[in-house]
Amino acid sequence: MRSRGDRQAQPVHTLAGAYAMDAVSDAERVRFERHLSGCDACRQEVRGLREATAALGAAAAVRPPDALREKVLHAAAQTRQLPPSVPEPPAGRARDRRRLSWRPRIAVALGGAVAAVGVAVGAGVVTYDMQNRLDQAQGRDLTVAAVLTASDARMMSAPVSTGGTATVVMSHREHALVFTAAHLNSLPAAKRYELWLIGPDGARPAGMITASGRGRMVGPMVVSGLSAGDRIGMTVEPAAGSPRPTSPPVVMVSLAG
Amino acid sequence: MTGSGREPAGEPAGRGETGDQAGPRRAADELGVLLARVALGDEDAYAAVYDRTAGPVLGVVRAVVRDPAQSEEVVQEVLLDVWRSASRFDAQLGSASAWVMTLAHRRAVDRVRSEQKAADRERRVPSSAPAYDEVAEAVEARLDRERVRRCLASLTELQRESVTLAYYGGYTYRQVAELLGVAIGTVKTRMRDGLIRLRDCLGVDS
Repeated sequence: MRSRGDRQAQPVHTLAGAYAMDAVSDAERVRFERHLSGCDACRQEVRGLREATAALGAAAAVRPPDALREKVLHAAAQTRQLPPSVPEPPAGRARDRRRLSWRPRIAVALGGAVAAVGVAVGAGVVTYDMQNRLDQAQGRDLTVAAVLTASDARMMSAPVSTGGTATVVMSHREHALVFTAAHLNSLPAAKRYELWLIGPDGARPAGMITASGRGRMVGPMVVSGLSAGDRIGMTVEPAAGSPRPTSPPVVMVSLAG
Repeated sequence: MTGSGREPAGEPAGRGETGDQAGPRRAADELGVLLARVALGDEDAYAAVYDRTAGPVLGVVRAVVRDPAQSEEVVQEVLLDVWRSASRFDAQLGSASAWVMTLAHRRAVDRVRSEQKAADRERRVPSSAPAYDEVAEAVEARLDRERVRRCLASLTELQRESVTLAYYGGYTYRQVAELLGVAIGTVKTRMRDGLIRLRDCLGVDS
């Protein structure tokens, strides 16, 4: 370890060079990209630095083996392509413009989780299994985007009684919501968190939550098929899931409106 | 096949006059147009993209990954990624070649880092890292673009070592600091300053 003086606060911006060369840790990359999203000048700089690194790369060009071409072209012909990213619809009416104001907050609330989806979708594909998982992730990604950009989208947060915070963005127009949670308490291996849509006719299972190792960020989970009067709740259930809740909800959010 | 044999268009560049850019920039635009066709599923356009990018992609991947068999795997992943996500290329955000090379470098680095994580359980990273000279020599033997070589030479020694180790070696700035025995903050700023100087020398800022 070097002297502590090395760690003294430097503008986050000095990381631009290391970032442009992928010479940062994953955590630093996430942090720097958050910085980039609010800094036009920094994005412009990184863009220029990436052109420089591309030239470094091109300078190292070597002749690829002839057999590689056939292999790659063949693999491509058998690989499904990603559709373009879904653009945000223009905010025309006054109501829409007002809605826009909270989107940055959602982006922050969901940032890590949505970025994780993006990474999964951006990954290349070698096997059918992987392809399937990517298609699922991509479908989920599109639904997430549709909900987040819906003109009637609303965001709600609520504390989880056993620890952590749940955040819901929902759109009645899309009949769907995006659920995320942060800092949930870890559960014993035999237990998992389960989501429910709770309406006048009782509770419908809305998905098991796969908590990451340290129970930090969860989701985004897409829950579709919302009906009027539904609430969303989360309970602690046996790991295999339950047909109906077997314990009182640790969080409950009304979806009215 | 393009790649190692191809010379940059035009006379050797000065320090970033835009007049030198006509050749490379036209080539870059061509790649962008090809990518737009690839996004529509055009396999002929993809073959053309392959011919323009496979050499540089293999070059950078091999510089970072070193192992030939693994490098080829990574190259296949990168090029397939280009096919899959061609619709995500946005010319507003940079040139087509920068997009492809960024994908390539990122994947190469991901590959060596995930392997390093496994190796770290047994030994510390710096002890398993090759010496700087080894990396630099392997790379410099392949540098076939005089302009890049000259621009690299215009950097200070510490800038050049930092940039070379990070980009071709695939090291994090913390590892580079360890390898060079220099403070972390110093390496960070040298990387940025070095790349800025390189960018200005190459005249690639768009």
